[in-house]
Formats: sequence, structure tokens, C-alpha cells
Amino acid sequence: MTGRSVAAGALIGVGAAGFVDEVVFHQLLHWHHFYDKSTPAVGLVSDGLFHAFSWFAAVIGLVMVADLARRRGLMARALAGGAFTGAGAFQLYDGTIQHKLLRLHQIRYDVDIRPYDWTWNVIAVALILTGLWFLWAARRTA
Amino acid sequence: MHHDVAGQAVAAVGLLAALGYHLAATRLRSRGDRWPVPAQAAFLVGCLALWLAGLGPGTDHGTSTDAMVRHLLLGMVAPLLLVLGRPVTLALRALPAGPVRRGFVRALHSAPVSVLVCPPVAAVLDAGGMWVLFRTPLPAWAASRPWLALLVHAHVLGAGLLFSAAVCQLDPVRRRYGVVMRGAALVAAAAAHGVLAKLLWAQAGTVDARQAAMIMYYGGDIVEIALAAVLAAGWYAAGGRALRRGSAGARCGTGSSRCLEVAHGDDRLRPVQ
Repeated sequence: MTGRSVAAGALIGVGAAGFVDEVVFHQLLHWHHFYDKSTPAVGLVSDGLFHAFSWFAAVIGLVMVADLARRRGLMARALAGGAFTGAGAFQLYDGTIQHKLLRLHQIRYDVDIRPYDWTWNVIAVALILTGLWFLWAARRTA
Repeated sequence: MHHDVAGQAVAAVGLLAALGYHLAATRLRSRGDRWPVPAQAAFLVGCLALWLAGLGPGTDHGTSTDAMVRHLLLGMVAPLLLVLGRPVTLALRALPAGPVRRGFVRALHSAPVSVLVCPPVAAVLDAGGMWVLFRTPLPAWAASRPWLALLVHAHVLGAGLLFSAAVCQLDPVRRRYGVVMRGAALVAAAAAHGVLAKLLWAQAGTVDARQAAMIMYYGGDIVEIALAAVLAAGWYAAGGRALRRGSAGARCGTGSSRCLEVAHGDDRLRPVQ
């Protein structure tokens, strides 16, 4: 049940990170661009896969939580550990591989991008460390 | 502009399907069987979506945006709603025993159908057809050839139905597929849909064409989330049945295969597999 709680958390974390990316940065702030002329084809494929997977992961992760609760096997720390690690991993992949290497789109346009990139990726690492701390705590209590 | 034969055909299919479904559900209820109202409502709304896709506003002097909305209705929204109505199950229960029903069952169990409802095959047919439609001059050829337009519409609807049925797996087919394979097919097809929408946006020369690409991208997302929800709900319900079987088995001792349970969505008793 611990493993399934971690998996459910990781799916929800990826889904939540994708949701924040879409709603906050694309729709509310309009910082991210829908399409960037400098994006190579592999960047579009990576974006398409992660975009589709994040919605799917959110739905499946939430239903997995309902299933674990029904079986009385939901481990809160394991779930939180999976969620923070999943969200951080997605954020880090988005901030390094997708934004920088694949040049999908930048965080914001017409500004000095460096502080944005640093903030983005430092938050990603902080999320991963928080998740690992929860996972460590979950193992200790298990 | 010529008469939109393909659009009229789609609307007619929607009307006929609604009529047939309603007659079958009424037949079931008149003999005392139950048929869920939500399933019937979903199917009838799906038929309405077909009618709108065929003859809805903007069919004769179409902008790209209008065409895209109709395309989403025909290829994604209507198929999902129609599949939620579980029309195959209804037909199997409503058809009287005889050559028609036997032929229907034989067709359902045939090798081609078993291959077509395999999730990766259905995903390739659906997403592949979409790429051909948007990346070749096919729409331009179809604009002046009604029979080709009819064929394109039939493929969009048919492939959409096949894909939705393969992902949701609500109707009985001989070969069942697991959640992982169906989920992977859904994510892959949704990714192909999103990538194509962004390519269309990049190549769009007008505001209208860009708006159409945006509608394709986000409209596809909404239907993808709905498909994922149906997939997840099916998995959750199957887990619940397994849990109940487990507790029933505990009550009956080790010979749980002799226990009976009320099958999901069915008022008849079935032996546990």
C-alpha cells in the first residue's frame, strides 16, 4: 500500500504541476507562449506527450487515492512524498530540458530570463527535496 | 456551393441512431428489464452532437473555426457520448433471438473486430486519419467531391467511435485490454492531437485559422480528460467488484466460485468467474 500511495502521489504531483503550468503561466499570466518559432519538432513531441500525460495522470492519481482510501491503505506521508517529488521532477524537466534544451518556449518574453530560470529550477529542486524528506519519513514510520 | 450531402448524411445518422436506441430501450423496459437513464441520456446527447456536426450553424459559409467545432463534435464529442450509451449491450439485449442477433454476435466476435478494438490499432486509425486529413490536400479534394466528403466524415466518426470504445471498454467484446494499454493509447493519441494542433497554429495565416487550432488543442484536452475519467471510473468499479467478491468468498469459505454476485450494471445473477 505504501508503494501504491507513492505512485498515486507521483501521478497527482505531475498532474498538478502540469495544471499550474497551463492555468497560471499560459492562461492567467500569458507569460508562456502557445508556440515558439524556435521550437524543434522533438520539442513539440515532448510537450505534446507531457501535456497529455499530465491530464491523464491527474485523473488516474485521484481515482487511485479513492481506491486506496476504500481499502483503508492510504499512507499520507507516502502520498505527499510522491506528490512533491512528482511535481518537482516535472517542473525540473520542464525548466531544464523543455525550456532550455528543446527551446519549447521561455518562461517569460522581453525580460532578462536568467532570474526566472533560476527561480523556476530552484523551486523544482526544493519540491523534490521536500518530497524525498516525506518519503524518508514514510519509510521510518512504516 | 453544392448541397452538403455529407453533412446531411451525418445528421440523418444521428436521427436514426436516436430513434433506434429509443425503441430498443423502450422495448427492454416494456418487458420489465431495466436500462439506465444516464446511458440513454448520454447516447441521445451524442446523437444531438451528430446532428449539430452535420447541419449545425455555419455549415454553408464555414470559417475554419466553425469547421473545427463541427470536426470536434463529429470525431470526439459525439463518439464518447455514444459509447457511454453502451449501444452494443443494448442491442444484444433488445434483439430477439434469431438470425439477426446471431449474425450480430458473430460479427462482434469476428477476427477483424477483435483487431480493430485493440487500443493501439484504434489509436493509430483515429490519430492517423486525423493527420492525413490535416496534412494532405484531402479537404480541398473533398470540397468538390461529395462522395469523398462522405467517406471522410464516415472515417472521422467511425474511427472516433472505435477509439472511444477501445479506451472506455464499456461494451462486451471478446478480447479485453488492461488499464495500462488503454491509458497508453489514450495518452499517445492525445499527444498526437496536441502536436498537430500546434503545427496547424504555427502554419495558420489568419486569426480564424489560429483560433481553429486553439479550439482543436483545448477541445481535445477536454475530451481526453473525459475519456481518462471513464477509464479510471471503470477501473475503480472493477476494483469494487473484486473487493465485494473477496468478502463474499470469505463468507462462503473457499469455494467462492460457487458464490453468486450481482454483476455490475446488470440485474441478473451471474456465477463468479
